[in-house]
Amino acid sequence: MNTFLEPLVSHFNYVAYIAIMMIGLYAMAAKRNLMKKLIGMGIFQTSIMLLYVSIGAKEGASIPIVAKYAETISPESYVNPLPHVLMLTAIVVSVATLGVALCLVQVIYKQYKSLEEDTILDKERS
Amino acid sequence: MQAAILTILLPLLGSILIVLGTWGRNRMGMTVALLSLVASAGMSVAVLVRVMEEGMLTYQLGGWPTPLGINLTIDGFSAVMLCLVAFASLLTLWSFRGDFLRKGQEKAPAMLGLYLLAVAGHMGIVATGDIFNLYVFIEVAALSGYALLSFGGARSARASLNYLLIGSVGASLYLLGVAYLYIATGSLNMLDVADIVAKNPTSGILFTGFVILVFGVWIKMALFPFHGWLPGAYGRTSLPSASLLAPLTTKVMAYVLVRFILTVFPENTAEAIPALSQLAVWGATAAIVAGAAFALAQTDLRRMLCYILVAEVGYMVGGSFVGNDTALTGTMLHVLADAAMTLTLFLALGNIVRRRGGQGPEQLDGLFSSMPVTMAAFVLGALSMIGVPPLCGFYSKWYLVSGAFEAGQFQFAAALLLSSLVNVVLFFRVFERAFFRKPPESGYDDVKWTRFAPLGLAAIALPLLGLLTGEIVDYLITPTLAFGA
Repeated sequence: MNTFLEPLVSHFNYVAYIAIMMIGLYAMAAKRNLMKKLIGMGIFQTSIMLLYVSIGAKEGASIPIVAKYAETISPESYVNPLPHVLMLTAIVVSVATLGVALCLVQVIYKQYKSLEEDTILDKERS
Repeated sequence: MQAAILTILLPLLGSILIVLGTWGRNRMGMTVALLSLVASAGMSVAVLVRVMEEGMLTYQLGGWPTPLGINLTIDGFSAVMLCLVAFASLLTLWSFRGDFLRKGQEKAPAMLGLYLLAVAGHMGIVATGDIFNLYVFIEVAALSGYALLSFGGARSARASLNYLLIGSVGASLYLLGVAYLYIATGSLNMLDVADIVAKNPTSGILFTGFVILVFGVWIKMALFPFHGWLPGAYGRTSLPSASLLAPLTTKVMAYVLVRFILTVFPENTAEAIPALSQLAVWGATAAIVAGAAFALAQTDLRRMLCYILVAEVGYMVGGSFVGNDTALTGTMLHVLADAAMTLTLFLALGNIVRRRGGQGPEQLDGLFSSMPVTMAAFVLGALSMIGVPPLCGFYSKWYLVSGAFEAGQFQFAAALLLSSLVNVVLFFRVFERAFFRKPPESGYDDVKWTRFAPLGLAAIALPLLGLLTGEIVDYLITPTLAFGA
């Protein structure tokens, strides 16, 4: 039991990101509603951001802001800010992706009056 | 030397200027777009000349020193890709100038802005030397591409949304691969990562990153089981969008694959994971066979070209994983050759659709007598796709096939030859209709020189690239290969 639980607990962030990622992927692949697919896409992208944020963390470290008049700066007392900064960009990208996707969904809704893929496919065939 | 950054900045600034400054004045917008692409193409030639003289070029953005700041790293292969993107987009815009000005006039500034943004994104992918910056450029190119592909009538929005969903998964997997690389090395600069990886023993984390990253790139470049979005997105959109993105997107992602295999990861990474290389070569073989089979089933000319594109992706993936320098040289040559061939064929298709109003089989009747000049260029593109000697398609295939034989990957070589034979059948089916059937209208009815000139330039590039193969390999590809080794 311990051999199973221990890596699970010590690598909690990796287990969590994979679980969340699979939920998102499942929603993208299996849901028939376009909005639900987009929600799945959002979950999928967020899981990768969670991974990035978690790899910057260190035990006992605080936010990476240097106090005024600090005499010595020890890198081990701050979390690594670079992955967080990268994720700012990635969040902007994912917001932009979602924006484009919502516009496309709107166009599709105007054409087919529906967001259910089955209905849309029926209308395309007829 | 600011030319490196200007190649990317000029289309980027041009797109902003068009959207903000020339809304409602389409002719002025078109002038701005053409000017910025011409200037960008000039800059890319300057970069190419400089790289050929001095070797690899590094440009530090904002003057920040390399391991920390973002930089552009341009070697021979990226310089020639940069020229290719610049000239292909310029020729496409020139050729479809009338379509932008006429159809959907109120949307023309948005389309032009997105067009330039897509060009800037593709240029950035080729030029950047930072793996996270590469992700940002991939998304810039992809997002403008999704929006551009949705301008095209009834079904293009759904095809485009489908592409968006699959494309985001591909880009996200790439980002995930970058995360593993960052965990393993703590750096994002390509050369720095390569340096750190070379000095330390390779770890499982690195291999995991490699596999995830490669899968992400495969999805973005539409390798066979992930190809579903490509025929839909390129087959249903308007022709200018398809003619811009079809020659560029898959080729630029193939460039990313080659760059990672050659520069970032140590030389033996692909061989260290034999399962992945075997999977890649067999997957590429399957992609070539499946692409050829799907193409045979199409009657519509544009969808046929789309499935040929799916088969061509197999060429490039297979060549980069066969695992010797000959095949890698073939892959790099084929990236260039395939972009030129696809561009020629799509521009010719644009002229045919413009005259005949469609791309079905009955619209091809008697094309040789009514549009001889366009068909001459189309025949050149088709012969190059088949692989007839003086044209560039032959030389890249020659390198790929000999590389496959060297490595003993006979199934891949067989698939390459099979797909060439299938291309013969596909294109001669088109020629047969165009030569022997009676045209619906009588007499000579070719396009004006303003529309033929870009097509002619693209077609002339095919034998030119083929005859210059020796120089391209010696001056541009061998240094890239030698640097990676």
